[in-house]
Amino acid sequence: MNRALAKQLNLVDFALSSLWRRRWKNGAVLLVFAGVIFLISSFHLVTTALTATTQRVLAPAPDIVIQKMTAGRQESIPLAYQEKLTGLFGIKKVVPRIWGYYFDEVREANFTVIGVDPEQMPLAEHLGQVLARGHFPAAPANAAAPEAEIAPAALGSLVSEALELEHGAFFSLFRPDLSLKTLQVSGLFRPESDLLTADLIALHIGEARDLFQVPAGLATDLCVYVYNPAEINNLARRIAEALPDSRVLTREQVARTYQAVFGWRSGFAAVCLLAALAAFAILAWDKASGLSPEERREVAVLKIVGWETPDILALRSWEALLVAGFAFLLGLLLAYIHVVYFAAGLFRPVMVGWSVIHPHFTLIPQLEAQDVLLLFSLTVLPYLAATVIPTWRCASVPAEDALSG
Amino acid sequence: MRPVALAALGLLILLACGALLLIQGRGLADRQQAALPVLEIAVAGLGLTDLCLATEARYTRHPAVSDPLAPFMSHPGSIEHFPTGSFWAPPPPYRRQP
Repeated sequence: MNRALAKQLNLVDFALSSLWRRRWKNGAVLLVFAGVIFLISSFHLVTTALTATTQRVLAPAPDIVIQKMTAGRQESIPLAYQEKLTGLFGIKKVVPRIWGYYFDEVREANFTVIGVDPEQMPLAEHLGQVLARGHFPAAPANAAAPEAEIAPAALGSLVSEALELEHGAFFSLFRPDLSLKTLQVSGLFRPESDLLTADLIALHIGEARDLFQVPAGLATDLCVYVYNPAEINNLARRIAEALPDSRVLTREQVARTYQAVFGWRSGFAAVCLLAALAAFAILAWDKASGLSPEERREVAVLKIVGWETPDILALRSWEALLVAGFAFLLGLLLAYIHVVYFAAGLFRPVMVGWSVIHPHFTLIPQLEAQDVLLLFSLTVLPYLAATVIPTWRCASVPAEDALSG
Repeated sequence: MRPVALAALGLLILLACGALLLIQGRGLADRQQAALPVLEIAVAGLGLTDLCLATEARYTRHPAVSDPLAPFMSHPGSIEHFPTGSFWAPPPPYRRQP
């Protein structure tokens, strides 16, 4: 066997024996270190998985969404604004939507009610594929007086569960004037689409207008679809000029919002990172503040029996690498299991807050080499530096000085 | 058995566990990918802009189409009190122009 390799293997043997002699202390360091890496890695995996899911799932979102703003708040947008956009070349169609929230006081749950005209929405003819049972609500037969009819509604899986409604069942929701609007479950969304539809009550736009008592001629917002996706930003700018009292959101801005929400700088990440970094700082401080008298004596004895300074440095590097390497692998594996198989259960209370309705979804982080390298350099490299530098300082002192002092 | 062999064995076991988890994760990801066309229809057909992660407040249910300052809009001096709001990244600090 190569002599250099044999020497390194012997050094690792010696390092392991040395670690085993102080097994309780080293075991505690390994566990704390693995915990720090677990926390940082879990958060990194959750945020990357959520961001990737958002980019993937929301790719067919409307090209542009227009909202009317008054005194800094969003208000209903006049449908007449559609006419102001007719002169803009490149717009395929402008589709109004009426949507909002319905608070169920009995269950203290918030439902999202969305009203669209399926005949105008892209891919709406395939909406049946998103339903486990039934059909998507069609236009009311008597569009002039929808309040006189029972409105068909497609429910998200958690809405039907919360309201205990089966396909075909009748239920009622309050209008703002507290009169009751009767609906019938015409369809149930698949549980596979829970990440998007769990809390949805989907209606025809006419029925949603009646439920929320939105005056004719107004809508919640306008979805704009364009012919050429490369022109989205240009058209958004021209729309903002044509409608100065409106907020114009492009699909790219929607994606950017999610990157910001789940970014490293988010408040929750800061709390996690601060806790983890505080634990790590204590660990590194303990190491970097110098060796214990026992460790100093050990270094001196090794030098007396003939070890060179580079050998001692190599020994301590191996010790640090073994502890940090095992802690890193253990922390990363536990973080992956936590995110994938326990749906990031530790973060879940913050992610869902006081939501009564929240979907059960599986996050699958795509662990890339760059993520591993980033986590490695954030955690392991500082630990190695904090361990090797004090050893080098001690090993460069003559053995008799180290023993005496 | 030499200590180094034991350590190598432990390392191999951890790496093997990691590889198995990644392989199974790839399978789960493929299954999610297979459900993507259905989700695309839902997004396109309903014009959705947001994921249903938290439903407690409108600005966490629909962060993309609501104001990030929505929690402070209820009344002057109103403070944010929904837990999910803590996921929001703070805006860059206001700097007075020189």
